[in-house]
Amino acid sequence: MQIAHAIQSTDLGTAIRESALVFPVILTTHLACIAVFGGMILVTDLRLLGWALKGRAVADVVDGLRNWKRLGFCIMVAMGALLAGSEAEKYAINPFFWCKMITLALIGVHALVFRRSVYAKASEFDSTGVIPGRAKLAAALSLLLWMGMVTFGRLIGYYEPAQKTQSMIQTTAANPHS
Amino acid sequence: MLLHPLLAFLRYDPTTNPLNNNEWSFPLLEILHILGFALSIGTIAVVDLRLLGWGMKRSTPSQLLKDTAPWSLAGLAVMLTTGPGIFSSDPYMYLNNQGFRFKMGALLLAIVYNYTIRRKVAMANASGAAAALVGGISLALWVSVVAGGLFIAFV
Repeated sequence: MQIAHAIQSTDLGTAIRESALVFPVILTTHLACIAVFGGMILVTDLRLLGWALKGRAVADVVDGLRNWKRLGFCIMVAMGALLAGSEAEKYAINPFFWCKMITLALIGVHALVFRRSVYAKASEFDSTGVIPGRAKLAAALSLLLWMGMVTFGRLIGYYEPAQKTQSMIQTTAANPHS
Repeated sequence: MLLHPLLAFLRYDPTTNPLNNNEWSFPLLEILHILGFALSIGTIAVVDLRLLGWGMKRSTPSQLLKDTAPWSLAGLAVMLTTGPGIFSSDPYMYLNNQGFRFKMGALLLAIVYNYTIRRKVAMANASGAAAALVGGISLALWVSVVAGGLFIAFV
């Protein structure tokens, strides 16, 4: 909790938290990246599953969008870090935030596991004409993980700490006529 | 706005809306809404990037448009069912919200643009500065829709 307080008390954290415009602008950037670059992750997964863009080479999809997804990922994470950092104390006690961070860590594991055996071999799938089960598994897991990211991300906003409810009850009990 | 008198005429009372009477349905609609626009805007962006001369360069814009169009439409369909659902939870607030009004304007423009100018240019496999401009405008329009939606909660 002290760490969280220290993070959000930096000049940058305070500036973001207290500005009427900066917070929503960062959130918009975060969400726009989810739309544009997150959508490209969906496209890649759907291609590997053999559901979408079947007329396009797998290598064209995987290689053509790779750098864009990397760029988008960096912006998304940077904006997310700014958002979380500016309200670190709130996020630190939010279970959905930690679910999201665990999912993010799993996405890292996913990349390490499948990078060589799937994502570096896209042109092989084109020459054989077969997308192996391992690649489909990678795509299905990626879909699940990213849908989890969106779900937990949105749910962060719905979490109300129990403490708050308690103090409200106490206030009501103290002022029965209010 | 045309909807105001209509809602008044129907004596619509948002408190009777199931969305306002359980804890899970509203966030669920929002999550589906985000996934829907990620699918539609992501697939649209693939073509826009191609028009800009970036991304999947081994495919032509028309090939990409044909292959992504059903998915863009599916995403749009999810957006356009969950969106009005969310709207129905508090229509009077939304109608008076500047962010919402901006979003609806941008959305209308983006959809019309998507199925007219952008479609024509992509199907003609145009390249160069004009094609890049068309792709850039499309991206800007869709980002504006997202921005307007987010600002609903901040204006």
